[in-house]
Amino acid sequence: MKIVAVTGCPTGIAHTYMAAEQLEKTAKKLGYPIKVETQGAMGIENELSQKDIDSADVAILAADIALEGLERFARIKTVKIPVQAAIKDPDGIFTKLGEVAK
Amino acid sequence: MNLDYTFSCVLPNGVHARPASSLEEAARRFQCEIRIHNGRTGRDGDAKSVLGILSTDIRLNDPCRLTTSGSDAREAMTALSGFIEKEFPGCDQPLVQLAGSASVRSLPPMLKAAGTEMLFGTPVSAGIGWGRVLRMGGLCIPASLDRGLESDAAGEMCRFDTILARVEKSYSDRLALLTSGPEADVIKAHRSVARDPGFRREIERAIMDRGRSIAGAVEEAEGAFTRMLVATGSLLLRERALDIQDVCGELIRQAYPNTVSADEHIRVAEDTVCVADCLTPGQFLALDRTYLKGLVLEHAGTTSHTVILARSFGIPCVIGVPGILDQVKPGAEIVVDANLGGVITRMTPVVRRYCDLERHRMEERRKRIAGVSRQPGLTRDQVRVEIAANVSSADEVGVAMTGGADGIGLFRTEMAFMGRDAPPSEEELYGSYRNAVEAANGKPVIIRTLDIGGDKPVPYLNIPPEENPFLGYRAMRIYPEFDSIIRAQVHALVRASAHGSLKVMVPMISCVEEAVWFKSLVAEEQAACRQAGIAFDEAMAVGAMVEIPAAVLALDALCGVLDFFSVGTNDLLQYFMAVDRGNQKVAGLYTPFNPAFLRLMKMAVEGAHSRGRWIGLCGEMGGQAECLPLLVGLGFDELSMASTRIPEIKAALGMLSSGECRALVEKVLACSTVADVTGELKRFPLQNERSLMDPELVVTGVDCGSKEEAIKIAVDRLYETGRVQQPRLVEEAVWVREAVSSTGFGHGFAIPHCKTNAVAANSLVVLKLRKPVGWGSLDGAPVGILILLAIRESDQATAHMRVLAALARRIMHEDFRARLVSESDPGALCAFLHEAVGGNGAHPRIL
Repeated sequence: MKIVAVTGCPTGIAHTYMAAEQLEKTAKKLGYPIKVETQGAMGIENELSQKDIDSADVAILAADIALEGLERFARIKTVKIPVQAAIKDPDGIFTKLGEVAK
Repeated sequence: MNLDYTFSCVLPNGVHARPASSLEEAARRFQCEIRIHNGRTGRDGDAKSVLGILSTDIRLNDPCRLTTSGSDAREAMTALSGFIEKEFPGCDQPLVQLAGSASVRSLPPMLKAAGTEMLFGTPVSAGIGWGRVLRMGGLCIPASLDRGLESDAAGEMCRFDTILARVEKSYSDRLALLTSGPEADVIKAHRSVARDPGFRREIERAIMDRGRSIAGAVEEAEGAFTRMLVATGSLLLRERALDIQDVCGELIRQAYPNTVSADEHIRVAEDTVCVADCLTPGQFLALDRTYLKGLVLEHAGTTSHTVILARSFGIPCVIGVPGILDQVKPGAEIVVDANLGGVITRMTPVVRRYCDLERHRMEERRKRIAGVSRQPGLTRDQVRVEIAANVSSADEVGVAMTGGADGIGLFRTEMAFMGRDAPPSEEELYGSYRNAVEAANGKPVIIRTLDIGGDKPVPYLNIPPEENPFLGYRAMRIYPEFDSIIRAQVHALVRASAHGSLKVMVPMISCVEEAVWFKSLVAEEQAACRQAGIAFDEAMAVGAMVEIPAAVLALDALCGVLDFFSVGTNDLLQYFMAVDRGNQKVAGLYTPFNPAFLRLMKMAVEGAHSRGRWIGLCGEMGGQAECLPLLVGLGFDELSMASTRIPEIKAALGMLSSGECRALVEKVLACSTVADVTGELKRFPLQNERSLMDPELVVTGVDCGSKEEAIKIAVDRLYETGRVQQPRLVEEAVWVREAVSSTGFGHGFAIPHCKTNAVAANSLVVLKLRKPVGWGSLDGAPVGILILLAIRESDQATAHMRVLAALARRIMHEDFRARLVSESDPGALCAFLHEAVGGNGAHPRIL
């Protein structure tokens, strides 16, 4: 299962990056390839290209703000969660991902 | 003849002090007996007595009856019924709602969470203080005075009448000098008590029928009326009881001048908060300042002399706290928090903890900047800006110098001329000015000559009240008429110039002719000294206040006559904008951030500098940290302020770059609105070169009882280290973020954060608590370590952001957190963080 994700929080100085780190850390532990885009105080970083998204099985949108470039995800299954959830229970999210991607 | 008139009360607040006074004034012109009856309360009173009218407790819609009986009863009835119909309704004004009343003020989260209540007012001298309440202005009759009388009741009554007449006259004299305003209202109220027939009758009965002395009679009368007024349950009438107390106090002082001195009841031996309706400068000065921890005045102007004194002695002061006199009992422990602008009337453990934290915060800050304030005022790029003090007496000069003043930028000399029956002697003035320059120890002292007019009561000048005193006969404009007084002052100044660096400054110059006239007066006094062989400084500089816009436009010519200038921003702004800042309806226009005003100031500075003249500033703006970048950028040679502001301003000055300030001024001068200017100011980087992290921002072993307290302590640290000027704004921003969702992300860690330009430099505070506190964390565990990220809103994409992002990522890792938990040394912890998230080739200053 190949995963893409976007994280974003209101001030963009902490939770955006904490969530990104949690997702990357957990994916690595479970052996899934992942690419996480952050939409924080420094703007969009590690931006997902349409090709990245199209080649993935599922997308995680972990945000408490309106994310930019949502049209990119029109053709992919997405899981929308609050940014806190990615920090609190990343394992639970990956379990859910497996079900969605089926 | 007996006549009746019935009416229903139309006054929304009932017949309180002001309408009662008006009715009394209308009634006392007639000979006949005039009584007023309230059908609701069944009470009956003498309409020629304010107290009589008040005792009937008339409220809105009460059915009332006025009766007149006697010789001129018909005329009286015609006049009074007409008065009640036509003018009575206009006697009242709706109760004034103070700007920013309690509902819009907010308590800090720590106090709010504990259910603390605060009575808000207007803070006029910063700081926090607590102690036992000392009520002043109330009646205090020494126990040593005999209440009874051996003999000669008639003689005692005669003596009382003489004193009463004297007291009434003193109120009339003071009123003659005041046209309107709160002070006039208060004195009018006092006078109406002093001439109230009901009041005199009560005294007369006590002396003549019951054999009381004046002390006994006044005490009984005061007690009887106060009980009566308090019994009505009306707050407005209870206020009236204070007027009676004041008048009774004055009568007792006059009747027993040897027993009751002005400071009879103000000896204190423990921490004290003085609570009074209003306080004269003399009363304030008589208080023992060792124990005076705060001042609460129900009525006082923000620029009254008492308030100015409180500010210069660093006594926290809040004014205009409605109902404070009714809500605190003498001896109760209360808190004056001028930082929040209110009074806490109940001391609880949380309030005490809050007070201790506040004191700690301010003391830490003071300690940190004490070192800086001993150095001369310099910007980061070594441009000299003298930071001087404003004072009102020679006593304050020493205090100012110890506090780090580079000189005295404004010595107001009016105090020596006020509150007395004759002008001070030349010798007395000389002594005071000599003391001032000697206390300055070689540093410059700018002494302003008399700035007085129809707005200040100085009996011997006898300047009649004017329609418009601020545009009238005041300051240097009165000098020609009071030649001997001003000559004595200038002579004293010339003599004092021999003892140090003294400069003379004349107020309210509007044209060159005035400057030439004053300069020649100084030259004449110098010539007189020369002839008499009296030593003086031949090179003594003579300058002027720049407070009238015309002076700015005449500066080129004024430079030909005078040696230096000092901009009085308060008056200059009022005159320039045509705004009385005491008038709430237009006070919004009174802002120094108006771009037109800044252009005027630029003209003043350039005008003086182009002719090689020195120019300072001595208005309130000088002490306002938010104005500092503008004033530095405008190029002032000196900024003079309340001495308590000096350390803070010197520390802030040291962080500024004069080049950046000049660039800022270029930008604001091109602005068209106040909002544009304040926007530029907010974006201006006050502390461009400070690092994100510093061992002094790591605090370990913190005792703390709640999340609210923890956030306060972390934000206070930013204040203590000078990274934040207004910690409340930052605290609020942190709580706004906290309200979105808890920043406790689990494992005993929290990362509260905010983005606001109330932060001067991006900062990262680490707080390690001795005992974890509840945080509403994701995993429900209490928090023992918090990392506060305080970021400027206007510079987000800097290298600091990258460090924070790295930190946010690293903190998700167990081993990283374990190290933060185990490391207790601030230096080592800071170094570890630096290595972990800021290292990797980044410049060490970034972290």
